[in-house]
Amino acid sequence: MLENIAKLKDYLFILLVTAAYSLLANVVGYDSPLAGPSIGCLLLVVIAFVGIVISMLPGFRALPMVFWVSVVAVVVSVPGFPGGDWLLSYTKQVSFLAITTPILAYGGLCLGKDFEAFKQLSWRIVPVALAVAAGSFLCATVLAEFVLHLEGIF
Amino acid sequence: MQAVKNLKLHLLAAIVVVLAEMIGIQKFGLVVLLPLLYALVIGGILSAPALRILDGKQMDRAAKFMPIAMLVLIAKIGLDIGPNLETLLNSGWALILQEFGHFFGTIIFGLPVALLLKMKREAIGACYSIDREANVAIIGEKFGLSSPEGRGVMGMYICGTVFGALWISLLAGIVAQMGIFHPHALAMGVGIGSASMMAAGMGSIIAAYPADAQLIQAYAAAANLMTSILGIYFALFVSLPVTIKVYEFFTGDRRQNKEAIEAPVNN
Repeated sequence: MLENIAKLKDYLFILLVTAAYSLLANVVGYDSPLAGPSIGCLLLVVIAFVGIVISMLPGFRALPMVFWVSVVAVVVSVPGFPGGDWLLSYTKQVSFLAITTPILAYGGLCLGKDFEAFKQLSWRIVPVALAVAAGSFLCATVLAEFVLHLEGIF
Repeated sequence: MQAVKNLKLHLLAAIVVVLAEMIGIQKFGLVVLLPLLYALVIGGILSAPALRILDGKQMDRAAKFMPIAMLVLIAKIGLDIGPNLETLLNSGWALILQEFGHFFGTIIFGLPVALLLKMKREAIGACYSIDREANVAIIGEKFGLSSPEGRGVMGMYICGTVFGALWISLLAGIVAQMGIFHPHALAMGVGIGSASMMAAGMGSIIAAYPADAQLIQAYAAAANLMTSILGIYFALFVSLPVTIKVYEFFTGDRRQNKEAIEAPVNN
């Protein structure tokens, strides 16, 4: 139990730092004011935190935090949820891209220790990446074409 | 206190964020460069072992940071879904079925190439999906970003970020010009789950079929929205387990120590 509380405190710390830096990015990159986006950022932290807490409860632990956080966010944003509009009016002010910047900053800062491993991976990932993207596009197109044909015939 | 020990890390991160945002979004024709890319590159350079700015422990902390930090983004993405739920539920069959193409296409095309190139468990991270932010978060949580799977997903994410849009626009353009597929099908194909890839691909298709511009945009956006939304759940419950099973079936390479995955996130 104590271990979980320690973990939660740490997660909250991480969420708050991310939110603070997202705010920083929002201001520097998108010339936004401070007031609205700050509340927006805090609300995002609350949603994420609620999701994390749920994911740690007995019975809900089978599913990862990513799932629960997104479910909480979806539920809160469905039209008709009490307070949803109020919440969205603030979170709208935080730019999606602004949040990605700090995440990737940490992402970049952790790459160093895996440099050797990445070097081993390096050129190989390129053809794989090309194949993965091509695969997604082509298979979806083929399926869509197939179904459109069926619908056309009916 | 952990926060103070890692002050250097957090200060560096703040600097990276500010620098990246100061450079801002840059466009060169079809290629769009975003602050997140600069953050990744600058952070990556700063972390180079040769420069000795960060030590192993701090980099471990950064690696543990990322999957949790990602949850803020996941929350933001989730908030875009609620309002659109009805639109999605009213989509036609084509829109729903082509999602399977998006999700399995990555494995069908990607895994063979990866295996041929003798990639190990990195292949799982790299091929299970088109690897946008949410997919990185999933791998980060399950295996940790320092694992081979983590490297695979990060590698794919970086490649996608750097030349994803360019590649899709080239490919879509070529396929569109070939005239084998209906422009609406192509438009859905291009709704791959990444806005930049979608936009780039859309441009190429419209260039080939200018009369259908409006519908192409509508279909692409709808497919993209669907892929983004279903993406997390499909990746989590279907793509990842399937990719792991297929990979292990063909290579017999099972994860050695399960305890490594379950490592608690602290420090």
